[in-house]
Amino acid sequence: MAEGFRLRVCFRKAGRLRYLSHLETGRAWERAARRAGLPYAVTQGYNPRMKVAFGPALPVGTAGMREYLDITLTRFVPVAQVQEGLRASIVEELAPVECGYVSPTEPSLASRLTIAEYEVELERGVPPQELERSLDALMRTGGLETEHKGKQKFFDLAVVLPKEPEVMSDAGRAAVRVWVRMGPHGSLRPETFMSAAIGPGRPVAVTRTELFIEDEQGWIRPL
Amino acid sequence: MNDVWERVEPLLRQVERPARYVDREWGVVRRPDAGYHVALMYPDTYEVGMANQALQVLAARLSTLDDVACERVFIPWVDMSAAMRAHEVPLFTLESCTPVAEMDMLGITLPNELTYTNVLEALDLAGIPLRAHDRGETHPLVVGGGPCSHNPEPMAAFFDAILVGDGEEALLEIVASHRASMAAGLSREESVRALAGIDGVYVPSLYLVGDDGVVRPVDDAPARVTRRVLADLDTYVSPTCPVVPYADVVHDRATVEVLRGCSRGCRFCQAGMVYRPVRERPADSIVRDAIASLRCTGYEELSLTSLSTADHSQLEEVLRRLANRLEGTGTAISVPSLRIDSFTVPLARLLGDGRKAGLTFAPEAGSQRLRDAINKNITEEEILTAVDQAFTAGWRRVKLYFMIGLPTETDEDVTAIAALVERVFATARAATPPGERGGLRVAVSASTFVPKAHTPFQWDGQLPIEEVRRRQVLLRQAMPRKGVELSFHDAGSSLLEAVLAKGGREAAAGVEAAWRAGAVFDAWSEHFSLARWIEALASAGIDAAAYAAEARDRHGALPWDHIDSGLSSAFLRAERERTDRAETTADCTFGECTGCGVCPGLGVDVVVAGGERRG
Ligand code: SF4
Repeated sequence: MAEGFRLRVCFRKAGRLRYLSHLETGRAWERAARRAGLPYAVTQGYNPRMKVAFGPALPVGTAGMREYLDITLTRFVPVAQVQEGLRASIVEELAPVECGYVSPTEPSLASRLTIAEYEVELERGVPPQELERSLDALMRTGGLETEHKGKQKFFDLAVVLPKEPEVMSDAGRAAVRVWVRMGPHGSLRPETFMSAAIGPGRPVAVTRTELFIEDEQGWIRPL
Repeated sequence: MNDVWERVEPLLRQVERPARYVDREWGVVRRPDAGYHVALMYPDTYEVGMANQALQVLAARLSTLDDVACERVFIPWVDMSAAMRAHEVPLFTLESCTPVAEMDMLGITLPNELTYTNVLEALDLAGIPLRAHDRGETHPLVVGGGPCSHNPEPMAAFFDAILVGDGEEALLEIVASHRASMAAGLSREESVRALAGIDGVYVPSLYLVGDDGVVRPVDDAPARVTRRVLADLDTYVSPTCPVVPYADVVHDRATVEVLRGCSRGCRFCQAGMVYRPVRERPADSIVRDAIASLRCTGYEELSLTSLSTADHSQLEEVLRRLANRLEGTGTAISVPSLRIDSFTVPLARLLGDGRKAGLTFAPEAGSQRLRDAINKNITEEEILTAVDQAFTAGWRRVKLYFMIGLPTETDEDVTAIAALVERVFATARAATPPGERGGLRVAVSASTFVPKAHTPFQWDGQLPIEEVRRRQVLLRQAMPRKGVELSFHDAGSSLLEAVLAKGGREAAAGVEAAWRAGAVFDAWSEHFSLARWIEALASAGIDAAAYAAEARDRHGALPWDHIDSGLSSAFLRAERERTDRAETTADCTFGECTGCGVCPGLGVDVVVAGGERRG
């Protein structure tokens, strides 16, 4: 049963607060919604909880420029008013970017958001040409073997990387833009990919810049 | 002020739970341009320390001073402290990421003896000399407070001053005094000396221990330091906009202190003795502060805190009003624990989520004789009635707390715990429909008695650890096996607690030696080593086992005689004598004054908001 008004909030997880876990970020947002006095719906049962759902988890240490959450409201509140209320109820590092209503029957964010765009910033001094070469070499191998907590995993790069990574060499910094497809096969962490390409220890900062829904028409933004 | 964030950040990629170190929570007050900087520290992890209400109260009081910045400090977990030492990053405050050594004052609360080595760890990480007499003009004043201030001697050498009692007003006086000294260009020594003029402030450097064990002032400092008591809790609002953590902290909820003190009079309980008299906050203020706090913090849970919340004369009214105001918001209300004799189903229902969480009761002793001896005024009938009512109403879990080694305990008292638990289990089972009995749980937790200063048991020794272990085995053998989970508090850490709780100034060398040998986070079982402590204490000339077990002359000197908690020693002695006769003493908030000495001695009175308490 889908009742109420489904509000979608696009927010940041930036600055020092990139070190929050998914759980911590979620809790922070639930509390912000309470502070903002939003007319949130609660679940039925003995231990009622706010009806809120989040997009794919962002690891500790990774920043996000456009993360998403859906919260069910019991009555309609104009978007501008919601946005103003939320902005005044959460710290700058987690600030809302935009808000909007979506259909209450929309499938969950976690299932719909399958494409993530990352910007991986590298230590200074990696020449762009060398970077291009290493990335090309890795892409040509077609696959990536990783190990996480003793578990071997194989990623087919043609599946998990829907687009060729792009080297950004503006303003003297070395950064790479990577698009990752998330799914039942798990998701490849951009750090892992970059370490495989250029050796461990190089990335200095990872930011998820966008999240997309992938359908027949291509990639669309959730708002 | 030097912001060291640039040096802290690279470390965050290699440590667990970096959210502990990043600040930027909701509710943080930042005053970079303040003229005076205080760091308030809880000597444990962020997750434990953020739950401490006293620090929230003090931070709220300090925030009323416009020109004062108050910043938080906790003990970095072992991975972080190792990384900090490796990269020479000093201990820093959260708000401005400033080295603690650059603060004007470092306030440290001493919640229990097992945090003592953490204090030394913090001073060392901060680059502040451990001992007060080694500190120079530029180091912050190190001021202690909290529960352990009632026997300050084992930690006295590490503090410039220690506040005994309520800090709402005293802390502001300490700050004012230090600022005045700074403005007048006084030396560190003179500034510290000036603090001794504030009621409730103990300046250890102005006192010496005589050959007779008595701590005496060297010059015009007061012979006894009298505990500060806030006469009326309603003078200040409960802090309504505390910092809201991101990390999953121990008590992650809004809190309103509903009363302070407890005069039930359990004879082993230090808090019940040293926070007298009972002072209730009126229902109107509680409701007002609770709503304001939920609004400001966005918490989904509210806790009404105190030593015994169910004793508040207007609790039902408060709960009803709150339930009305919070309907439909998914907000749960909780209390820290209920006394068995104040448990009623309607009350527990008002506490919402109770059935899921289960009940927690503390009978402390198994036999009626021993419960009378320790003045735990509850009967077995009351226990069983409460269990019957709760399980009939749908509860399925109960946790019972007991203590082993209480004065006058015999083997019969120990096995009586098992017999009581068996009857609790049978009562719970009978009240549970047959189909639901699978989910029935009775958990029993047994800790070891630790004699504490300013209690009727302050002269008693602790049972030798071998004897504690023998009684634990006895209890385990007597305990019904089915449906009962029995756990013991580690007897080794209780032994250390006893040594430090009873200790005099000589114990400081033992604390320092233990820390030098690597002791830190002693309250965390994975870090605690009794062997290390025994060796460290021995190096300071203390035989831990003998020291903990020693019974003291009830008319002789005690290491905390210079700390006046307001309790008369005649009262404590009489209470100890009643123990031997298993005679109880009534709670003065339900009847007449029983003569503990606090009210006349400290010029305060019991405050019962609803006019009277009903037993
Ligand atoms: S002096 Fe009397 S009334 Fe006051 S706390 Fe002690 S026993 Fe209670």
